[in-house]
Amino acid sequence: MDINSTLIAVFLFPGLLFLCAYATTLEFVDRHVYARLQNRQGPPWYQPIADFLKLMGKEVIIPAGADKTMYKLLPLVSFAAVATAFLCVPVFGPAVKAFNGDLIVVLYLLTIPTACFYLAGWYSTSIYATIGSVRALTQLFSYEVPLFMALLAPAMLAGSWSITEISAYYTANPLYVLFNLPALVVALLAVQGKLERVPFDLPEAETELAGGTFVEYSGRYYAMFRMTVDCELVVLSALIAAIFVPLSFDIWWMEVLCFFISTLLIVFVLTFIRATMPRVRIDQMVRFCWIYLTPLAMAQIILNLFLRGVVG
Amino acid sequence: MGRGLIRRAIDWGTRKSPWIIHFNAGSCNGCDIEVVDALTPRYDLERFGMLQQGTPRHADVLVCTGAVTLQTRDRLIQIYEQMPEPRFVVAVGTCACSGGIFDGCYGVVGGIDAVIPVSAYVPGCAARPEAIIDGVVKLLTALKKQQKEGPIVVKAEGDEIVKAETLSGEVVYEKDKEEVSQ
Repeated sequence: MDINSTLIAVFLFPGLLFLCAYATTLEFVDRHVYARLQNRQGPPWYQPIADFLKLMGKEVIIPAGADKTMYKLLPLVSFAAVATAFLCVPVFGPAVKAFNGDLIVVLYLLTIPTACFYLAGWYSTSIYATIGSVRALTQLFSYEVPLFMALLAPAMLAGSWSITEISAYYTANPLYVLFNLPALVVALLAVQGKLERVPFDLPEAETELAGGTFVEYSGRYYAMFRMTVDCELVVLSALIAAIFVPLSFDIWWMEVLCFFISTLLIVFVLTFIRATMPRVRIDQMVRFCWIYLTPLAMAQIILNLFLRGVVG
Repeated sequence: MGRGLIRRAIDWGTRKSPWIIHFNAGSCNGCDIEVVDALTPRYDLERFGMLQQGTPRHADVLVCTGAVTLQTRDRLIQIYEQMPEPRFVVAVGTCACSGGIFDGCYGVVGGIDAVIPVSAYVPGCAARPEAIIDGVVKLLTALKKQQKEGPIVVKAEGDEIVKAETLSGEVVYEKDKEEVSQ
């Protein structure tokens, strides 16, 4: 790949620009479906763009006790981590940067934003932000293990750590996907925790914590954090689509259609969970993740190891 | 006019995404219930891009109810100062507009505008959710006009407003005359 096409792939398509555009679209879809499930009209299609522009133009207030460098740096670091992870995920065919082990790299890059949220809450020295950030970290230790195991179990059956190769393996053997259904359920529930959405939106918990880790953030730095969360939704839905939806076509427009339909379907399921469930307590969340999700993912791994021995 | 593309885009965003925070400055709770009512799916404020925020740092519009008491006076000023610019205040209910029946009480400072500048008044006891939505939409319409024509210059003699005009010279209000335009 020469330097020009690499730059286009990284910054325009399917890199940064496409990621941000699709992130705003998915946020609109999420909010619109949520509104329709509550039997109301919902926001207009340009709402996420208007929110972003408004926040970009607002005054930035940095609290007197906060660390100024960290306060400004953390939104950028978390956004950069998510944008980098997107380059390793297959969009319309193979990923921009596919190599053996990119599944592990994507999963670890997606952990960086959560760590940044924690630090953002900690460095803004507000009591609400501190409680929110400690909850974010507690939640991280609960959902991260089942999420990793649920995404690694299909990789074990496919016998590869590369997302593109896993996708190719399941395209060749579509029926093997049915074995991974428990892992899909675990992954979808754990993703709700990762994206801090109901029923696991404890770090934000609007009605309790006045905004959670981002209490002290305003203006363009808050806009950056919001964009990070939206992009995380894109990356995670694309990742789940690549691993669990075994469809790949030679015709380019079929490929494009398949990508949009599968990611939108995953976002719809996530929104449905968000709209129909109440928020749980932090101890209930930790217990649920460790008592139900982790053993289920563990059973999936054992099953897949066994199947790997049978089908070779 | 003469605003750049970025300025116009940000102005558009400000009009289309007013996030609100609700503050009770000493209300009897009647207006608060109506404000919360206006946020329910039945009235669907998200159509206008309005979201309720928990923290003043994220909010653009401070929705205040009730007459300001001596106890809440400092808190109200503190919350107002925590909000980043541009920020707007909507006074909901008769007590918030003027002090209402509590005006002149020993513990009451007055309406919201006795403490912080108010952009829109929604009278009513209690103000209906429809009136609150109407008030906020009127605020956004006035904001659009202001963004296009610049701020209104007010000349005053003592406490009395003599003349108000836009930067382009259009007279909005003049003493001893009928109101020129809304």
